[in-house]
Amino acid sequence: MGLEVGTLKVTMDEIAADLARDFAGDLEDVRIQEPDTIVARLAREKLKDVARRLKAHEDLAYETLNFVAAVDLGAQLESVYHVYSWRTNTWIELHVPVPRAKAEVDTVTDVWPAADWHEREAWDMMGIRYLGHPDLRRILLKDDFVGHPLRKDYVDLAENHPHV
Amino acid sequence: MSDFFLTAEAEPDEAVKLALRRIDEAQAAGQGSDVEGLRLNEVVVNMGPQHPSTHGVLRLVVTLDGELIKDVIPVVGYLHRCKEKLAEKRTYFQYIPILDRTEYVAGMNCEWAYVMTVEKLTGIRPTRRAEFIRVIVGELSRIASHLVAVGTFTADLAPLGTAMAFYTFRDRELILDLLEEVSGGRMMYNYLRFGGVRYDLPSGWVEQCRDVMKRMPKLIDEYASLVDDNAIFLQRTVGKGVISQQDVVDYGITGPNARASGVELDLRRTRPYSVYPELDFEVCTAQHGDVFDRYRVRMDEMRQSVRIIEQCLDMLPRGPVQSGSLRAPYVVTPPPGSCYVGQENPRGEYGTYIVSDGSRYPYRLKYRDPCFCNLQLFPKLLRGNKIADAVSISGSMDLVLGGIDR
Amino acid sequence: MDVFLEILRLVVCVIVAYAVVFVAALVNIVFERRFLAFMQDRHGPNRVGPHGIFQSIADAFKMIGKEDFRPAFADRGMFILAPIMVMIGAVAVQLTMPYTKGFTPGDLNVGLIYIVAVTSFTTMAILVGGWASRNKYSLVGALRSAAQMISYEIPMLLAILVIAMVVGSWSLNDVVDAQADYKWIGFYMPFTFLLYAIAAISELNRGPFDLPESESELVSGYGTEYSGMRFGMFFLNEYAGMTIMSMVAVTLFFGGWHGPFEDALVIGGVAIVPFIWFMVKTYILVFALVWVRLSLPRLQVDQLMGFAWKILIPLGLLNIALTAAVILWVPHWRWGLLVVGWVSFAAFVGLFDPILKRRLRRQRERLPVVSS
Repeated sequence: MGLEVGTLKVTMDEIAADLARDFAGDLEDVRIQEPDTIVARLAREKLKDVARRLKAHEDLAYETLNFVAAVDLGAQLESVYHVYSWRTNTWIELHVPVPRAKAEVDTVTDVWPAADWHEREAWDMMGIRYLGHPDLRRILLKDDFVGHPLRKDYVDLAENHPHV
Repeated sequence: MSDFFLTAEAEPDEAVKLALRRIDEAQAAGQGSDVEGLRLNEVVVNMGPQHPSTHGVLRLVVTLDGELIKDVIPVVGYLHRCKEKLAEKRTYFQYIPILDRTEYVAGMNCEWAYVMTVEKLTGIRPTRRAEFIRVIVGELSRIASHLVAVGTFTADLAPLGTAMAFYTFRDRELILDLLEEVSGGRMMYNYLRFGGVRYDLPSGWVEQCRDVMKRMPKLIDEYASLVDDNAIFLQRTVGKGVISQQDVVDYGITGPNARASGVELDLRRTRPYSVYPELDFEVCTAQHGDVFDRYRVRMDEMRQSVRIIEQCLDMLPRGPVQSGSLRAPYVVTPPPGSCYVGQENPRGEYGTYIVSDGSRYPYRLKYRDPCFCNLQLFPKLLRGNKIADAVSISGSMDLVLGGIDR
Repeated sequence: MDVFLEILRLVVCVIVAYAVVFVAALVNIVFERRFLAFMQDRHGPNRVGPHGIFQSIADAFKMIGKEDFRPAFADRGMFILAPIMVMIGAVAVQLTMPYTKGFTPGDLNVGLIYIVAVTSFTTMAILVGGWASRNKYSLVGALRSAAQMISYEIPMLLAILVIAMVVGSWSLNDVVDAQADYKWIGFYMPFTFLLYAIAAISELNRGPFDLPESESELVSGYGTEYSGMRFGMFFLNEYAGMTIMSMVAVTLFFGGWHGPFEDALVIGGVAIVPFIWFMVKTYILVFALVWVRLSLPRLQVDQLMGFAWKILIPLGLLNIALTAAVILWVPHWRWGLLVVGWVSFAAFVGLFDPILKRRLRRQRERLPVVSS
């Protein structure tokens, strides 16, 4: 009945091989992080297309987005997607580099609805603009907050503390 | 002056503006609540952040048509304490107590998730006795958390109508006493360490714990007897707020909320950690995914946790509770890299994603909080229900704002 | 001169009625809080006076001492008027209550209808207060209250109608007189009492029917914006209402002041012992009210309305028809009523809950199993 976990028994090597075959040219640096996660890098132009294909993949079917994490790597920002495959009971971690100057990347809310709030949080904290997001407002900070505090170059501004 | 006095010109904030905009859009599209040319105005109501049953500071901007909920916009962030920013200026070790304060109802489990991530990054392995102690305190914490969840949920249905909340909070103290004896804190434990736990179990604690576990099933039966067979309770809960399995997949719902929809998703089984593979317990599921099922799953899980703890007490090996030297490593420097480890929190998958740059401080720390993900589904669940259901559904989802807002 | 005396008597009665309302409310508040605490395994207020019996007096002083606060956009006149209006119902009912043998403040020949009429006044005040607050919770609470009053007034009236049929009079004194020698109406018409009791609890806005101020959804419904003594007036009224409604129920169903040793102590034509019986019976019912509130979760609006219109009103009409038939055609009609009353009571109590639960269980089984 319904949804079951881990119906497809495959090893991590097989998954990595599958991914390397089906996503050749899209996913770079595919490596296995023990015990059950695949880590891969991805150009931001290809994100949406690859996300769709990952979700629709007949064996792996990465259907559930766990979280989106935004990381400031100094030279560039990075948007990290952690996605779960129910069928194989494994995870994939997609690292999408985002240039600092023009921090924009396509939204994946239409592929994985769960991305909605996580992308809002990443925008709020790291200032990555997700293009096509239905409602990209600040989520944890107040509406009139200035700046994106988790960037390493963030300087605390006086106007963010009007009552101090 | 204008900070303290409400004026007629006071501008609504973004969320309210969005709600008003959506009403206008619906009217323009001809989906408004016009009845035969009579224009009925929807009312936008702010439920929260100060509201008796939003369990903290959740704010729901609710568009009402009479008693009916047309639209909901959850607004979070009122309890934001910059936990992720704090990680930049604290060493891995100093950051442990912060975890207790994220999802404060089950602090032990949150610490555990963080400690596991750092252990995986650094390659430290906890001792076997420490693993068992972690399972015991984690499951105790789970029972305590579920007691709060079930108690507040029934209290939402009628604050004085059922005494259950008082009973559950009374019995939760039994468990908090146990945890206090082990760690020194009722809710803020700061107990787990990389490679072990802070203190060994005090003498006589095992017997005391066994004693409480012997009483627990009877107490759980007592709560069940208060409400399970009550016609009004059933009327309020059966068939309300159904989470479908598609929702579970789309929105990343985890924990009892997902299991109530018949999904056997329990990280203790599907991504086994610690000594769970050696333990005998069932993953509790229900079939309909409604409010009543979520309540039932929590009740069943408490019974399973009692089973787990009793097994652990029987199997508890002798030995040190800290690997390596006797003292916990104050300074850990994981190699550069990133790692995420999920852990089965009472509310679902809780975990921390840590990026390390090889220094003593986490370079970036990001929480994956179950309530944050579950709350996303809220507008979909509430639409078309009554106001009273908003309260019972949010109660059954068991939200903890400390975790959502961080 | 007579007119003057009559006016004086009325003024005294009104003052006494107000006093009774206040005292009853203060007693009920402490009683309920302590009893709730006992049932919920906690202490409750136990600091002011022995066992906390002066707690509500302390609370009253606190409320009087509070700032007179009015929200910025409230409708000033209405906002102030509502807490004053809210007491009228409770006070007015008492003026026609037969307290004891030989003492009824104002014996009306339409007492039964009068009671129904003036108790709805409370709802009017709630509606005014909820509207004037200019708060959405208040408004929803007030409208719920109005809807609830309209729905539950009818079963209440249907129950009272049966009493009028049996007694053959609308006067409360006649109702009490008809129950002399332990021919208490509640004994041979328990089903009518049940109808009345459910409707009365709903009229009082008490759990499980406390939707107008359901604190888990509407913060505190119509009273959200009220504070200090204005809130206190609503609060007092709610708790005084418990006593008043119980008094009415005792008068209608449990023989009013009738009891043993009625003439043992008579001062100035007023018998004292019956008054004690009256109060004892009243407080037994108050106790029952607290107990009900404590053990049942709150209904939902649609369920509440459905219960009134689909179950109580048809049953009330059926009850009237049956009673009328018995009175008309059965020779010893009191015995007939006894049989009919207890049979219908047993049927309702014995069948309603199991049927409802079976329906819910069926509904639960029929629920689709969620799957992707």
